[in-house]
Amino acid sequence: MTSSRSAVIFALALLAPALLYILAIVAYPLVDTIILSFTNAALRPTYDFVGWANYQKIFGAGNFIDVIIRTFVWTFFSVAAKMVIGTMGATLLNSAIPGQTVFRILTMPPWIVPMAIGIFMWGWMYNGQFGMISGLLQNFGLIDGPWPFLAQGNSAFWATIVTDVWIGVPMVTIYLLAAMQSIPKDLYEAAWTDGAGRLYRFRRITLPLMVPAMLTMSLLSLIATFNSFDIIWILTQGGPSNQTTTMIIDTYKTAMGSRKYGEGAARAVVICIFVSLFCIVYFRAVRKLSQGEIK
Amino acid sequence: MSQLSLKRLEKSFNEAKIIKGIDLDVTEGQFVVFVGPSGCGKSTLLRMIAGLEDVTEGEISISGKVVNDLPPVERGIAMVFQSYALYPHMTVYENIAFPLRVEKLPKAELDKRVQAAAKVLQLEPRLQHRPGQLSGGQRQRVAIGRAIVRQPKIFLFDEPLSNLDAALRSEMRIELMELHKRLGSTMIYVTHDQVEAMTMADKIVVLDAGLISQVGSPLELYHRPDNLFVAGFIGSPRMNFMNGTVTSSNGTSLVIDLGTLGTLDLPRSSKIGAGQSVTVGIRPEHLKLGAGDFTLAITPRIIEHLGIHTVLYANLPAGENFIGLFEGDPKVEEAVAVEIGFALDQVHLFDQAGLAVY
Repeated sequence: MTSSRSAVIFALALLAPALLYILAIVAYPLVDTIILSFTNAALRPTYDFVGWANYQKIFGAGNFIDVIIRTFVWTFFSVAAKMVIGTMGATLLNSAIPGQTVFRILTMPPWIVPMAIGIFMWGWMYNGQFGMISGLLQNFGLIDGPWPFLAQGNSAFWATIVTDVWIGVPMVTIYLLAAMQSIPKDLYEAAWTDGAGRLYRFRRITLPLMVPAMLTMSLLSLIATFNSFDIIWILTQGGPSNQTTTMIIDTYKTAMGSRKYGEGAARAVVICIFVSLFCIVYFRAVRKLSQGEIK
Repeated sequence: MSQLSLKRLEKSFNEAKIIKGIDLDVTEGQFVVFVGPSGCGKSTLLRMIAGLEDVTEGEISISGKVVNDLPPVERGIAMVFQSYALYPHMTVYENIAFPLRVEKLPKAELDKRVQAAAKVLQLEPRLQHRPGQLSGGQRQRVAIGRAIVRQPKIFLFDEPLSNLDAALRSEMRIELMELHKRLGSTMIYVTHDQVEAMTMADKIVVLDAGLISQVGSPLELYHRPDNLFVAGFIGSPRMNFMNGTVTSSNGTSLVIDLGTLGTLDLPRSSKIGAGQSVTVGIRPEHLKLGAGDFTLAITPRIIEHLGIHTVLYANLPAGENFIGLFEGDPKVEEAVAVEIGFALDQVHLFDQAGLAVY
């Protein structure tokens, strides 16, 4: 056996478990969902192919477009807030502040606390009668009476974003902190020697050198936020009056609530297409970055 | 008037004292090299002058003004880092222009200065390239360009050639010396490479464990080292040392017992008395094959034939390394004993404390 052939066999052997795993839990369900999206599958034991009917139906009804817009707005504000707060946090944790280690540890709890417990905690904080936030706002005279945040459409929408940001910020912070620490110290010393102040150094050195890491983190955060289910489901189940129903919640309600599997699959495929588009945009940006077209 | 003056300078990191009291004056236009082994404090000293490290004790003055508490930009210095510290996301032009952009210099003046620096450093065709597209030598020149445009009073170089290969290093060494002649600025240069120090410096500052061991011109340090450390550090291959004991001293000469190597009668009007331990030093290039004022027999362990000269490595009876450097390609063989001699006026003598005796 030639050495190159044995190298190929060895590589395939290493690849096989991961490949089988991905085929079983990603590729097969994905293909099955796409097939399902062209059927009228429901609770009945049999189903028929209906062509594009499910897609025509969901795009024909105005509420799906509303759901898409709401999802994008929800995702945009959540990702933007996570990136801004994460960048600020990473910058702070990277600077030589007293008690730096303590601050680094304090960043972690939202990430460490099991997600469901964290969300329930926020659910209680948002409670109008007993919640801390409503109580504090009343004490400061900012609201007249109890404010049930999750029972009002507008405030529920923002409340779910705040919780999503709270859970998502630690990962963004730690990832960006790691990227920031990989920037050579010499660059800052050289800039300081040349008279560049803190803000100038941040703008001209830190931020440009962080672009690749920020792009990666934005994509990861975008996909996770776009598909964020637990937070909204536990806090509002998409209510009140569908005001927090995003695409993933909508898909779940259609497929699992109304048992319209075919229509739910069509909605899931639309999510898949959007996420794929995000990835294409990301990889194009990374390619341009490596070719030096983005400065 | 001295352009840079260091007075009783000290630096501690927590309990560890790294710089232990340095006094030094550098006059305008001098090329001064700080040299010493790793950990001797030379880079720390340079960073203190740059303003990148706080001063624990003492005073740094530049052009008569104490600058201890001034930020680097107000000291009139520019520094070239060992890693070059080029901004990878900026073009060569932007890297060189960086300090001028910080200064908010008008665009026309900025462009003029960048172009002038690029011309001096032969970087004009590379101005739109990024550091990643440049060779080590070109990167080095960009880093120097960034220092030049600031028109500093003093250039500080922190081991700027240590990342280059040997051929490029000697090329860049010459370029730096030419640049110094052209600009006429004061340059302070840190290196652990004594060849760089000998070839580039007007004045060498030899540092050892946070203290100045000797200051002088390269040839002063070579011919009249103040102590064992400088004698061993300056010169390549390093000086040979032989331990001995003074057996008699009459005010004009010393008789030194070198054990199995023999007895050396050295003309020195020293107060060293009989019974004191001394170290005799002789540079490898001052040895010659055959008999001399003092002759010893050694058996070469390794021989290096370099064409222009031959280097011979051996061990003395007490185990110390002994190196001989001979012109051309003499007939010597490994493991075959050979007679080697030297002239008494080439001998260096050091007392018990390691201080030179002349």
